[in-house]
Amino acid sequence: MNSLNAMFPLLTLIVGALLVLILEVSIKRENKTYLAFISIIFLMICGFFCVQSWGKDFSYFNNHLYLDNFALFFSIVLIITTILVTLISMKYLSLQNTNVGEYYALLLLALSGMLIMVSSSDLIVIFLGLEVLSMSSYTLAGLKRDDQKSSEAALKYFLLGSFASAFLVYGLALLYGVSNSTSIAVIIDHFKTESSLSFMAFAGLGLVIVGFGFKIAVVPFHMWTPDVYQGAPTPITAFFSIGPKAVGFAVLVRLLYPFWHVAYDSEVIFSLLWIISALTMIIGNLIALRQTNIKRMLAYSSIAHAGYLMVAILSQDTSSLMFYFVVYLFMNIGAFAAVIALGKKDKEYLELDDYAGIGFKYPWIGATFAVFLFSLAGFPPTGGFLAKFYVFSAAVREGLVSLVIIGVLASLVSVYYYLRIIVYMYMREPTHEVDINLENPALFLVLFLCLYGVLQLGIFPGNILLIIKQAVSSIAFL
Amino acid sequence: MNAPILSIITFIPLAGALLLIFINKDKENLLRTIALILTLVIFVISLSLYINFDDQNPDPQFVEKSSWIGYGINYHIGIDGISLFLVLLTTLLIPIAILSSWKYIGKRVKEYLIFMLLLETGIIGVFVSLNLFLFYVFWEITLVPMYFLIGIWGGKRRIYATIKYVLFTMFGSLLMLVAIFFLYSMYYKATGVYSFNIFDMYKLVLNPSIQVWLFLAFALAFAIKVPMFPFHTWLPDAHVEAPTAGSVILAAILLKMGAYGFLRFAMPLFPDALTKFLPYLGVLALIGIIYGGLMALIQKDVKSLVAYSSVSHMGLIMLAIFSLNVEGIQGGIYQMLNHGLSTGALFLCVGILYERAHTRLIKDFGGVSKQMPVFAAFFLICMLSSVGLPGLNGFVGEILCLFGIFKANMVLAILGVTTVILAAAYLLWMFQRVMHGPITNDRVHNFKDLNKREIAYLLPIIILMFWMGLYPQPFLRKMDASVNKLINQINQKKTLFTETKKESELLWDIKTIENTAEDHQEKEEPVQ
Repeated sequence: MNSLNAMFPLLTLIVGALLVLILEVSIKRENKTYLAFISIIFLMICGFFCVQSWGKDFSYFNNHLYLDNFALFFSIVLIITTILVTLISMKYLSLQNTNVGEYYALLLLALSGMLIMVSSSDLIVIFLGLEVLSMSSYTLAGLKRDDQKSSEAALKYFLLGSFASAFLVYGLALLYGVSNSTSIAVIIDHFKTESSLSFMAFAGLGLVIVGFGFKIAVVPFHMWTPDVYQGAPTPITAFFSIGPKAVGFAVLVRLLYPFWHVAYDSEVIFSLLWIISALTMIIGNLIALRQTNIKRMLAYSSIAHAGYLMVAILSQDTSSLMFYFVVYLFMNIGAFAAVIALGKKDKEYLELDDYAGIGFKYPWIGATFAVFLFSLAGFPPTGGFLAKFYVFSAAVREGLVSLVIIGVLASLVSVYYYLRIIVYMYMREPTHEVDINLENPALFLVLFLCLYGVLQLGIFPGNILLIIKQAVSSIAFL
Repeated sequence: MNAPILSIITFIPLAGALLLIFINKDKENLLRTIALILTLVIFVISLSLYINFDDQNPDPQFVEKSSWIGYGINYHIGIDGISLFLVLLTTLLIPIAILSSWKYIGKRVKEYLIFMLLLETGIIGVFVSLNLFLFYVFWEITLVPMYFLIGIWGGKRRIYATIKYVLFTMFGSLLMLVAIFFLYSMYYKATGVYSFNIFDMYKLVLNPSIQVWLFLAFALAFAIKVPMFPFHTWLPDAHVEAPTAGSVILAAILLKMGAYGFLRFAMPLFPDALTKFLPYLGVLALIGIIYGGLMALIQKDVKSLVAYSSVSHMGLIMLAIFSLNVEGIQGGIYQMLNHGLSTGALFLCVGILYERAHTRLIKDFGGVSKQMPVFAAFFLICMLSSVGLPGLNGFVGEILCLFGIFKANMVLAILGVTTVILAAAYLLWMFQRVMHGPITNDRVHNFKDLNKREIAYLLPIIILMFWMGLYPQPFLRKMDASVNKLINQINQKKTLFTETKKESELLWDIKTIENTAEDHQEKEEPVQ
């Protein structure tokens, strides 16, 4: 249905971002948490619009913006992510000397870029969304101006992100040259008419996948991830580990889902993605073994999770992919929130040694962090188990047994490094004093919400599965 | 049967663990008392399972079924003659374990008890699940509390031991998970219905070439858990490092999960592959018996001696189960219970010694019986039960096992008998060095005999040992129907496949038993 309603979520975010910027300039206050509350209000309104549009298929701009349930589902996931990230940032920013009001505006803008990406099936529009997202992300990564690592992160992210964008645009141009269109549906339709993929089409498609491969950080396009994740402010790392990945995968689903069914030579693309998936799972997990910095370890773990998600892409099972994202959102933000919880004024505790004895000293933080780690490692009855379960069982059903065996063995490796944090938290005596700032109600709210999410999704996921089912059946390929 | 007894037994410990979270951690005795009373209540409730169990009915009883997540994932539990006693063993040993660690665990009591209760939920869940998904969930859940129990309250090398334990077990179970997916998708392809129900899976008739791989995946997971040679290396580490109660539960119950897995899943699901691998499995079990026994002989540490004796005894149990006849399987299950009691009790005795001496090395002891006469009597009975002295439970189990093995394979049986000889050798020798002789270590003079608490937790086990040794009928008769059904099932499925061999030569070809049975009727009718 062609309706201005399709614009509402986006407009809300942009108005919110601008309002935050104006307030930041006009009200000189040392404490910026009010900006966080304002942006949370706008995020909630945005979420409200998304929920309202569920099942109504609003579209605008000649269908370039199309809110099918699939888009709405990812939008809501991203909005929840942003709300949680805003909540964990509130105290963090003043503690870690990054007290700038633009932060919240940039988050809203990044989110608007992501919403554009998930709700369009025109590659040019997707590219515009990507650039909106990227510009905000580069700035967010470098927000700690006085910190060398943060600046390094921003520069690396910027350079490699630009490369990725360049690949994407080049691929787009080639696809346009082949099919005279930038709409995914038309491009795929064009493939149908050909008896085999021309080299140009093949290269175009490959380059587009490479471009998104950077965003979702799959091997061998993952090199930027550890440095950026380590250098960026921790809440932003949490944001990076979910947001760009989610949109990247959403676009890949839109691009590849019809492609599997029509195009000739899809085996080549398929086997390339197969190799990428296997490599991502293996390398991500193996390198994570050697990390002693928690943020770096979580960076590699997020690479590994991208590998599991690629398995879902390969088995063409969109619902398991979406379920994985919902779970991943809660467990990963939860883990990062626990990492943020271990900090005080101008000091973050990020080395493994710092975690010795934490489990008994701060039992609630320790226990929730342990649950998130068990979930990331895929132990029942947490959501992480069920998510892996769905992905791998769908893959076996599609005959990808060898990939699944690689996947489960890789996740066995992951058990080791996730449990290593727990070993430090519970089984080693502390080597030095770690005292943390506990006055952080928003953060504890997030920890609790994520804990609830992880357990609810692991034990009674029924409702979410139902929603996902609706979303999958609605995927529009316009 | 109105109340969902099985669910109550399974989830009361979980509820108890949640309750304990909210109690002040400094009130240690209150915490211990709550946990103890709770587990004792569970034990009493579980006795009603035994009383109400219908021994003529081979099918699972006390069945509860309700839909859960969908796609074949249902909450489906029940017990039959095979799992009944394993559940009872669990509910009996957990309160004993809690009682035994009353003084020994002085640090972080609250967390310790929470993990104990979680462990009980997990273990009972494994034995009652009739849905593969549910089974796998519980199977993995048991890992987590055990990981903490060894890792936090264990000995010097606890972190190494606990990580090794988790990684070994997970390696097997993850491959089993892939096999479960495979079964699941094949069932879907064959019938168009999603199911994890174990009875639906039994009906699948699989091509032997697929069975081989699936069986290997399942068998690996269970063989690591049992543990069968050569997958046993995690066991001595885990046992030696674990706190006493942890060793008791590990040896007495967790190892049984592996054997139970063979009986419930690996064997009836893949009978053709089973027949193919039977000789190899038998040899591995036999190596386990002899190797475990010889290793036990040379141990300097009492606890690792008992740990290796577990390897040896579990080998005999597996050999008996693989004999695939009524005596063997019944003896195997009976011996599982015996081993649970006697090895559990031996670990308790070692724990009692350790609490007094703070060492477990055999050479540090000697002449203990002079100082601790009551303990000496208890220890002697436990040890003789493990050796298999007539009149005690171990004898009944071992005789049945060996009868079964003799029926199946004479050579294996003759070599398998060495388990008795070896057990007598290493246990009696150890007993002699620890309990008799002159007192060489001055500290032994200060040893106090058993206190009331220690007698309280050893006595029920001793009574059971005599009862199960003198009058085993009440136990064996409850198993008859289910064991017979299991054996029929395995044999019937084997013949079914040979009949339909021609149709099933393709790798992916699968049929359910019902379908093939109908096909046969249709074919036979015109002939008549």
